[in-house]
Parts: sequence; C-alpha cells; structure tokens
Amino acid sequence: MKKKQLRWLLPLAALPVLWLLYWGMGRDTYVLPSPMAGLQAPDFELVTFEGDTVHLSDLEGKVVILNFWASWCIPCRQEHPVLVQTERTWDDSEVVLLGVVYQDSRANAERFLAEYGGEWTHVLDPSQRTAIDYGVYGVPESFFIGTDGTIALKKVGPVTWDLVRYQVDSLLAAPLTAASATGAGGAP
Amino acid sequence: MNRTLARLMSLLVVFVAGPGVVVSAQEVEQEAATSAPQAVEAPAEQVDDDRSALTDPEEAALDALAAEVASGLRCPVCRNQSIVESNAELSREMHRVVRDKLAAGETPEQVEAYFVSRYGEWILLQPQARGINLIVYALPALALVLGFLLARNRLRKWARTGSDDSGHQAGAEELGAEDERWLRDALRES
Repeated sequence: MKKKQLRWLLPLAALPVLWLLYWGMGRDTYVLPSPMAGLQAPDFELVTFEGDTVHLSDLEGKVVILNFWASWCIPCRQEHPVLVQTERTWDDSEVVLLGVVYQDSRANAERFLAEYGGEWTHVLDPSQRTAIDYGVYGVPESFFIGTDGTIALKKVGPVTWDLVRYQVDSLLAAPLTAASATGAGGAP
Repeated sequence: MNRTLARLMSLLVVFVAGPGVVVSAQEVEQEAATSAPQAVEAPAEQVDDDRSALTDPEEAALDALAAEVASGLRCPVCRNQSIVESNAELSREMHRVVRDKLAAGETPEQVEAYFVSRYGEWILLQPQARGINLIVYALPALALVLGFLLARNRLRKWARTGSDDSGHQAGAEELGAEDERWLRDALRES
C-alpha cells in the first residue's frame, strides 16, 4: 500500500532532471552573459594614435559607442562598414564613436584603417587593463553608453546597423535617466 | 637630484610595503631630502634587491596568494581553464591585475568581487555557495543521505524476513484470494 503511494515520486523526481536537460540543451553556450549593462561605465585614460589622452569622463553628455577591435579580427572587418555609417550619421557633438585597439599594434591598426576607411578616434590599450575593466572576452565588443555614463548595452560580436540605429536613437531620445532626472530637480 | 632620488626611494618603499606606509614614506622623503646623497643611494639599492620573490618572503607570499586567487578565476578566452593555467595574453594580464590589487591591499574577496562585477559570476570556476547555487552543493549530499537511508531500510527488512525460517510460508499467506483458489484447483486436478 505504501509502495503504491510512493510510485508517483519516480516520474516526479525525473522532472527537474528533464527540465535541466531541456534548459541546458536549449541554451547557446557561446552567448556570454555580462553584468555590465545598467551600470556606470568605468572611466579610463587612454592615448590616441596622435598622443592625446582621452578620458571617458570628458565625453559626458554625449552618447558614446566604445568599440573594442583589432586588425586581425575578421568579424571586425565585417562590422566596419556599419561603424563608418554610424560616424557619418551622427555629429560628434551628439554621438562619439571611440575605437579601442585590442591586442594589436598601432601600425597594424593604421594599416587597417587606411584600407577600410573611417575617421573616428582610436585609442590604444596596450596593458589591456581597460578591456579587463570592461569585462571584454574578445573582439569585436561594443558598449553603448548613455549621456549620463550608464552602459545601456554590451554587444559581443559584430554590430549591425539596425542595432546601432535603435540603440543610439533611444539613447538620444531619452537622455534623462532616473539619476540625471532627479539631479535636474524641479524641471518641468 | 637629491630630491628625485628620495622620491624614487619612497615610491619603492610604497611599492614593497603597500599603501599602509604611505605616510611614513612621505616622512622618509622629507628626511632623505635633507640627508647626504650617499646615504640615500645605499638603501635605495637595497630596497630594489629585496623586490625579488626569491629573496623576500613577503613578495613570495603575495605571489602565492595571487596564484591562489587567480586559480579560481576562469580564463575568458579558454574553455574551463583558470587564468593561472592559461597562457593567453588576457589571462596573464588578469593574473597581474589580481596581484596588483592584492599588493594594493585588497582582500581576495574584493578581487573576486571585482572580476564578478565585470565578467559576471561566470568568471568564478567554483560557483558561490548561496542562492540557487546551493542546490549544486546540497544535492549530492542529500542524495547520498537519502540513498543510505533507503539502503538501510531495505537491508533491515531483508534481514528480518531472511532470518525467519517460515519466510516462505509467510510469503504464501500473502497470496491473493484469487491466486489461492487457482492454486487449490491446480492441486486438486493433479
């Protein structure tokens, strides 16, 4: 009698295992989670090819697209035309595109840019400390940073024009986030 | 010249002894600024020699601690390798970040928290024992205990029925009414 009562336990015990299998197999193991979205973008001090120093804090009030890339990276070539279009679409005073050269030399990066075009600023990160500070796994990786310095999205892999347009438009349309809105006080 | 040397020395002192001695390092700088250049040069050299992990137990301890913390951090560009095992450029730099942070006085927990804040909990090779992760730690032990209890009960029951010589008879008594009727009919027929 007791045995019969316990019989339903067996399939019930199998349920979590089946669920785990379903979840594990349906998951794309190449998708890397990032905890950075919604957080304040870490500030950095990096040097451009021309020798100028760039701080992220200097760019506050603008939408920043921080693009980690390298000349040896094939997907970076694939996304490069999108970045060229990005640069052409928005003015520097609104949207800043900043390339961070990752595990690559300045000479290689310049050769790449001479071949594929693009006039936006690039900085070097020879120690990779900024890449680590941003939780970068590899290239290309792009961070969309709002006017208040909050990371809206981290995109691993090449960006598409639809993604860039949607992200930048929404960041430009809603420049006041909760933090900066309260800072504005009694603004109507 | 004298002042530059003094500054260099104080920097070295800070580097070796950590940020806790910043105040005393400034004192050293002030003191050294007024003393003879020979007197400054000699200890500066000595401090420089002591920076090797081979001779300085503190440096060796820091290396060991950095390796220990780093061995729990996953290499982002490998599959299931720690940043100590990996030879990837990124891993080696992460190892240096770990060491620098420890040298700056951060605890291993703070260093781990930094990497978790950047890469997510994924970066830890061993999941933290809290929240839903507790299942991973509790389930094997739970299964073991449950299995043990089940085995014990079975064995006890088995031992009880096995030691009884009338076991077969007791088994026969448990036959259903229908079976018993069938058995009786069969015996009668033969």
